[in-house]
Amino acid sequence: MKSGSSGSLTGGKPLTASPVPETTPHCSLCSGHAVYHDRISGRYLCRDHFIANIESRVTETIRSRKMIQPGDHVGIGLSGGKDSTALLMILSRLLPSLDGVRLTAITIDEGIAGYREDTIRSADELVKKYKIPQVSVSFTVLFGNTLDAFLKGREPEACTVCGILRRKALIAGAEQAGITKLATGHNLDDEAQSVFMNVLRGDLPRLVRDSASDSQGWFIPRIKPLMHVSEKELAVYLMLHGAWPDLPECPYAVHALRMEVRTMLATLEVKHPGTMLHLLESKAQIEAHCAGALVVEPVRHCRECGDACSGEICQLCMLKRRLGIGGS
Amino acid sequence: MDIYPLPLPSTSTIVKIILPDKSCRTRDVGPVTVESLLRELGLNPVEVLVSKNGTLVVEDAIVQDTDEVRIFRITHGG
Ligand SMILES: [Zn+2]
Ligand SMILES: [Zn+2]
Repeated sequence: MKSGSSGSLTGGKPLTASPVPETTPHCSLCSGHAVYHDRISGRYLCRDHFIANIESRVTETIRSRKMIQPGDHVGIGLSGGKDSTALLMILSRLLPSLDGVRLTAITIDEGIAGYREDTIRSADELVKKYKIPQVSVSFTVLFGNTLDAFLKGREPEACTVCGILRRKALIAGAEQAGITKLATGHNLDDEAQSVFMNVLRGDLPRLVRDSASDSQGWFIPRIKPLMHVSEKELAVYLMLHGAWPDLPECPYAVHALRMEVRTMLATLEVKHPGTMLHLLESKAQIEAHCAGALVVEPVRHCRECGDACSGEICQLCMLKRRLGIGGS
Repeated sequence: MDIYPLPLPSTSTIVKIILPDKSCRTRDVGPVTVESLLRELGLNPVEVLVSKNGTLVVEDAIVQDTDEVRIFRITHGG
């Protein structure tokens, strides 16, 4: 599949509200033709009202959760896939309203053949277009080999292995860039899936911890400005800007529990609009009830690398042993 | 030698559908909503975007006549 040429729908040109027959519903706020139907509110939105809606909701998420302070240097975990592309575009748009804030993209090359080359090319084009400095970190340089090589024969563990290594790579990139906040492109669907997955795994501590407040082992606060925007909304946002990345799916995704949960939640969402938001609300309620009740283990330090961890040896060092990655 | 296709009966419609894998198919019964078209194809509206003649449309937009419908799958990943 060819990437590079984004916006396959109109050859890169933003979509216009050109002559539209009456067979298309109108915007609930103006006479423009609707590009999005919000199944929760029942509202139809045209291109301009849709874009304004997304940007004001992200602004509100950032504001209400105090995600970004004046003078912050925000790192954007930019894979070049759709979510991080949308994150970079939206934060760039909001930048003038954020006092003295700077952005730097952090791109991780895990080494996934037939997938990552395309998204990295897409990321490189994007930072050039938006004139945003970029720091790149590759698994090969950091760990001595590609993710593909590490995963030979352990494909079903792909997301776990990749997650642990990526986290380290992001920290390395964050240190290199000297950022004060790390923003990732996690959207409403991702968050809802995580809540559900932690429930399925019977992992309550993780359910409560695995959020913006998850700072264990992170010396830089992580923020998720898109956490209240659905995956579909982000896709529409990109399409309307002629920035739809026509990219392949990660080849390891098929092995992930997340994909099963994703399909299931999408099925529920279409029948019962609001399901994903309700999952986030459930999590917030559990968090509120658990405040102080969950035993917070004292932060310990890894015997091998000294990073903060919950046991004797951190996840990364354990994984490195298993994968035969030398030294740290 | 030129081949002139027979004019179609006025009640008939041919909708061209381009699927996420770029394959094409036609559907000659209409008019129909995007939503029921997706249902027919076994696709969840939450997981795809649909354009009609190059313009993004909502699920209850109506597709008919010689409309070209394009379906984009929203791939996971960020
Ligand atoms: Zn409008
Ligand atoms: Zn360690």
